[in-house]
Amino acid sequence: MAEGAASKPRRGAGRGAGSRGAAGRTSAADANGVGAAGAAADIGVRLASLEISRAWLVDPASGREGPGELVVQDGMIEAVTWLEGADADGIDDAGVVVAPGFIDLHAHFREPGFEDAETIASGSAAAAHGGFTTVCLMPNTSPPIDQAGVLAGIRAAAVASGSPIEVLVYGTVTAGRGGETLAELGELADAGAVGFSDDGAPVRSADILRNALLYAAMLGRAIVDHPEESSLTVGAEANEGLVATVLGLKGWPAAAEESAVARDLAVLADVVADQPGARLHLTHLSVPGSIQRVREAKAAGLPVTCDVTPHHLALSDEWLAGARRFAWAADERHGIADPWRDHAITAEPYDPALRVNPPLRRPADVLACLRGLADGTVDAMATDHAPHTSVDKDVEFGLAANGISGIETALGLVLEAVAAGELGLMRAIDLLTAGPARVLGERLGRTVGLIEGAPANLVVFDRGATWDVTPETLLSRGKNSPLLGRALSGRVLLTVAGGRIAHVDDGFAERPG
Amino acid sequence: MAAVNAPPPELLDQPVAATAWRHRHLLDLDGLTWPEFELIMQTTDSMREVLRRPIAKVPALRGRSVTILFYEASTRTRVSFEVAAKNLSADVVSIAAQSSSITKGESLVDTVRTVEALGANMLVMRHAVSGAPYLAARHFSGSVLNGGDGWHAHPSQALLDLYTMRQHVPGGSVRGRKVVIVGDVLHSRVARSNIWSLTAAGADLWLCGPATLLRGFEAWARSWRGPSGRGVPGSFHVTTDLGAALRDADVVMALRIQRERQAGGLLPSLREYAARFGITAERLAGANPDVLVMHPGPMNEGVEIAPDVAIGRGSVITEQVTNGVAVRMAVLYLLAGAEPRRG
Repeated sequence: MAEGAASKPRRGAGRGAGSRGAAGRTSAADANGVGAAGAAADIGVRLASLEISRAWLVDPASGREGPGELVVQDGMIEAVTWLEGADADGIDDAGVVVAPGFIDLHAHFREPGFEDAETIASGSAAAAHGGFTTVCLMPNTSPPIDQAGVLAGIRAAAVASGSPIEVLVYGTVTAGRGGETLAELGELADAGAVGFSDDGAPVRSADILRNALLYAAMLGRAIVDHPEESSLTVGAEANEGLVATVLGLKGWPAAAEESAVARDLAVLADVVADQPGARLHLTHLSVPGSIQRVREAKAAGLPVTCDVTPHHLALSDEWLAGARRFAWAADERHGIADPWRDHAITAEPYDPALRVNPPLRRPADVLACLRGLADGTVDAMATDHAPHTSVDKDVEFGLAANGISGIETALGLVLEAVAAGELGLMRAIDLLTAGPARVLGERLGRTVGLIEGAPANLVVFDRGATWDVTPETLLSRGKNSPLLGRALSGRVLLTVAGGRIAHVDDGFAERPG
Repeated sequence: MAAVNAPPPELLDQPVAATAWRHRHLLDLDGLTWPEFELIMQTTDSMREVLRRPIAKVPALRGRSVTILFYEASTRTRVSFEVAAKNLSADVVSIAAQSSSITKGESLVDTVRTVEALGANMLVMRHAVSGAPYLAARHFSGSVLNGGDGWHAHPSQALLDLYTMRQHVPGGSVRGRKVVIVGDVLHSRVARSNIWSLTAAGADLWLCGPATLLRGFEAWARSWRGPSGRGVPGSFHVTTDLGAALRDADVVMALRIQRERQAGGLLPSLREYAARFGITAERLAGANPDVLVMHPGPMNEGVEIAPDVAIGRGSVITEQVTNGVAVRMAVLYLLAGAEPRRG
């Protein structure tokens, strides 16, 4: 909470539902046990009691959303009441929203090895600020999480952090992430590995991938692949397309992702014939061809799931040129989005915060990803939260590390897509909660939803309130956000994980109890 | 033409005051209006007049400090900027930074801050990474001039190219003239900057080369040709057919082919390149009889251009070098007196 506590929630102009919405919000919550002063001291404390009245509840598990009230007692959801008729008057989905806590299938907390970029503690605080109550950490640490001992160290650090955020951890697929031999997958599974991934790099060898899928199936785990045909991406800096051509950046072609997806799916089909329990999850898909291949594979019954990041569903390669319009606002009537032609450039080009792998794609690609999100092809949104230090990021674009610090801005970007009509609110929340829960299956070990009698895993956010993205408001050590200087809606007021307080906005806490 | 307010030569005998220029930096040509191109061209006319004097030196930038920071080997551009700055009486510091310092982890931002602390008002920079001057500009309180960044831009080269074309093309305008750029367009900052200046000038622009070295440019040309509301004449084509490109061409510019393109799998061999895309007298037979032959240098004679063509009747390659000094004097002068618009 440190710096974040300094700022007050602001009402977004023209966004909410006018005075009736505002009235609903101001009386939205009553929290006991959430201290007003020194909120940081409350992190990790069991939520004694919370009463949220007249809010918009979204429960993807039951498929229901609408006006309602929610009561938490001693960390447990005591009552969920849906309001109807006159009681529901004046409550809409533009104000305070209550949803199950978000689940991130893909985050980098950098510990051990890169603690100046992020730690389990700072990453957990950032996650909670973003509304997440569960994170799945990638194993490209130093040393990599290729042995049970390293994984145990991370779990211990999570407990020591005092944060109630649920930290799940992937083990590597191959020893040392070297791509040559399998890591000790069984021991990693026994130590609690939620799945296996060599993320940051693809599993280059199809033979290793095949064996990994078979072996992980035996352990009841999925292989999470970062699909990239590396021979097409040597030295790549930006999506291959008009923006890269004009800016003189080496292209990262869509074919590099799509061909890797095609290979992975062919290998999966081969494995499934022998071992039906095999599971493949493709992470951070970014091009239409990948989405289409997954769509077809799912129709054919293959056990594959996939995710898209918030940045790939809102930002496009035009941002590298200095445009700051969201993908759906790009004019593609002439077949190609051209920010120079459209006089859409409003910022300096080459912001290194925009360098990410896979790269930000064309607006048309983003729209295809959004269609995949809407039609169920894509199972989840995952942040690929990739914090970096200024030493690694405040350099020439082509020398900057890949990655966006995105776990705190995910909700804000998703809500931009919702506000633009590209995604329904229910589907958006589903992709952050029940969707990733379905991908994790029994590995999650709990049911996701607004369920009476269950420990509270909740996020309360206000679509009518904005927050400014600044190095000070980001709780992550990684300040590498391309959204610095912007105001995002959906200010998170309260995050509760496992019945304990994970994040509380000072404006929320100061409301009279 | 008077509307562009170029400084007359006699004004250069005084320290630079406010010029009509409105940009703090010169990093790319993409944002320039046609009157701004005209201002540079006409200021270059004045600089050429200075260069014709017995003592080709004016006090316009006396007391200004220009640092020339090159992270890539270069002779002609670096020396050209040095001579230009000295002709304007600026104090010149030239730093040949080892390109290996990039990998040693020396930060560009640190270097720029150091250069500024040492008193530089203007920074001329060359860097192997596209976009690097934008990073420098964010951390430098004076003006940054891009002396070439990666594959991205080489503004002063494209300006001297435009100036040289206007000198020789009948009527002094490239509007409607067929200008052909041949070679490794993909990796060429010269080509990219020429695309901006020549499309702004209303030329009939053609890019030509092997398909592997043109990838992506057809999309650029297609977008440019599309309904754009740019309100400029001219056209923009991309082709692998050298014969079609050269037919009735008014200007042919050959680009340097680097040997590593062969190792990178983009070209079967330099021999095959020379046979298919080399500019020879035979091939130029299809062009306008008065065709201008240009090259940004350094040349691989016998690869992208035949030796007899390089020194032949239509060649203006050495004039490009001479004009380079005048153009760089012009941009240094204009930027030194710029009153940047805010925002």
